[in-house]
Amino acid sequence: MLNIGRLARVSALLALLGTGQAFAATDTPATSSPQEIIAASCSGCHARDGEGRWFRISDQRKTPEGWQMTLVRMQITHKAQFIDPAGGDGDAALRTLVKYFADTQGLAPQERAPYSFILEQELNTIEEHDSEQFRSMCARCHTGARVLLQRRTEDEWRNLVHFHLGQFPTAEYQMMGRDRDWLGEALRDVVPDLAKKYPLQTDAWTQWQAAPKPALAGRWRVLGYMPGRGDFSGVMVTGAQDGDRYTVVFNGQFADGEALSGSGSAIVYTGYEWRGTLKIGDESYRQVMAASADGAELTGRMFQRDHDEWGLRMRAVRETPRSELLAVQPGFIAAGGESLLTLVGINLDGAADLGPGLKVLEEVSRSAGQILLRVAADDTAAVGVRAIRVGKSDLPDAITVYKGMDRLQVEPAFAVGRVGGDGGSQPVVQAIFDAIAWSNGADGEAGTQDDLRIGRVAANWSVAPWNEQATADQDVRFAGQMDKDDGVFTPAGAGPNPERKYQTNNAGNLKVIASVDRDGQTIQGDGHLIVTVQRWNNPPIR
Amino acid sequence: MKHLKPLNEKAHLIDKASRQGEVDEVVAMQTVAGCTATTDPGWEVDMFGGVAGLCQPMEADLYGCADPCWWPAQVPDVMVTYPDWAGEAPSAGKDWRKLDAVFPEDDS
Repeated sequence: MLNIGRLARVSALLALLGTGQAFAATDTPATSSPQEIIAASCSGCHARDGEGRWFRISDQRKTPEGWQMTLVRMQITHKAQFIDPAGGDGDAALRTLVKYFADTQGLAPQERAPYSFILEQELNTIEEHDSEQFRSMCARCHTGARVLLQRRTEDEWRNLVHFHLGQFPTAEYQMMGRDRDWLGEALRDVVPDLAKKYPLQTDAWTQWQAAPKPALAGRWRVLGYMPGRGDFSGVMVTGAQDGDRYTVVFNGQFADGEALSGSGSAIVYTGYEWRGTLKIGDESYRQVMAASADGAELTGRMFQRDHDEWGLRMRAVRETPRSELLAVQPGFIAAGGESLLTLVGINLDGAADLGPGLKVLEEVSRSAGQILLRVAADDTAAVGVRAIRVGKSDLPDAITVYKGMDRLQVEPAFAVGRVGGDGGSQPVVQAIFDAIAWSNGADGEAGTQDDLRIGRVAANWSVAPWNEQATADQDVRFAGQMDKDDGVFTPAGAGPNPERKYQTNNAGNLKVIASVDRDGQTIQGDGHLIVTVQRWNNPPIR
Repeated sequence: MKHLKPLNEKAHLIDKASRQGEVDEVVAMQTVAGCTATTDPGWEVDMFGGVAGLCQPMEADLYGCADPCWWPAQVPDVMVTYPDWAGEAPSAGKDWRKLDAVFPEDDS
């Protein structure tokens, strides 16, 4: 007999933990030490050897999210209870363990960097793996990043294979499992390969453990870009609390003046893994960022908790007494045109030098962090990417001067939206597109080295059937709506649709078309949108 | 396919694709992070990169996916990990609104 009540209770308990994408920094840790909690909670299955190493646990390293997923799995699958012997609650005990494991058995910054996208929930990323075998054996079901954000001994990589076969026996008879000796190949080839490339002990981790960890309290100049919204700038102020926790006050605005401001808290794992939880208006946001080793920068993404497709790719630069120009927004101007440019930086002081052919018509406003200029570009201004200087601060590759907008590129080129809502538990996942203008450069030919990426431009948006099948299935009619001005596609409701053939879902295979009218000519670009069904297993590393 | 004769539309499509050599052109993980296109036919995307080859509707065979643990990364597997997932929703077609996500939510 199915025991729904039990699962519901586990879920309700876990909902209180502040698990999910990030741990709420306001949640206090347990009173007992991590070792005491491990002894009380884990040692029934994970014995401690004479050297103080816990069976299996001590042979792995992971991200905070990786440890969180492991501990939650122990709770769900093995009914583990996390116990604070001092009498504190189990939620705090679990949080303490994630922090402890991430700090002592985490990943070095350079080990994590290639796979940041999955922690940041950049879910339209297309992975590329050199090894066909790795793609087939591992990345056919989940991201390769999920594997490559782990480090293990060879025995532990082997145990992971056996775990997969025990927990998910279909691995052997799914497509790409049944066409080979899956287990034999996994044990013979994949395990030694992973053990060699991703071992438990690495110089990078040894060095990071020994390195001083940056304190991350201070005032930060924030630069960002949100697909579907455009350029962003702001200020973030962080205040240190106990246990690598911080208060966060975040204030900023998009280029059109709309504010994105709120406050919250953050916690730092492994000395550099910044995880923030902010309330902005009515929305909860998550920050997943990495601090540079010197503590001068935080880079990553801030996204909505409930709609992680909406996110700000951001960089926070610590404010120091030094004058520093950080960005020009927008980063392009047409030769022969006029534009309002925002120069964003820290302690900006002195005149702006935009180089030959670009003339400041008016300094509209100026503060230490921002200068707003009305700029004219001569017809003869040199086409290309150029530096801009403010006072003594140079910013290379600050702005692109272009002549002629020749083509559009839709970004992302391939995206997935998901049906949702309509009374179901899973919300619609929107697909958000930008139209990026390109110039063909001096040779007038597309696809050559002198092509210039101009930047995000407003466009008219529409969708069309991707192929004959999509036409026959009327995917355009059923799959959802494209906002013609914003490039945001909102999929239709979930569930069987009685109006469709076989009552099928509102899935669709669509071409996304952006077009811009310039001087009587229309330039156009297109991308590919798959509108597909919901998923019910959404851990922080997919 | 030498000894099999396609009878319906989907079977014709598969037959046609395999005859044209298209099957070999399908690249694992040609889709985006965390999607699967390769496990008969795939959860998000079918083996041809579209959606017309998915179960129609998905709910018609949802428990045929969950029970044998076919897409455990996307759909909770009822066979081993989440035996109670669909307990309150005996008919996926009628009760799909009762199905919840399995990884705990963060309410903060």
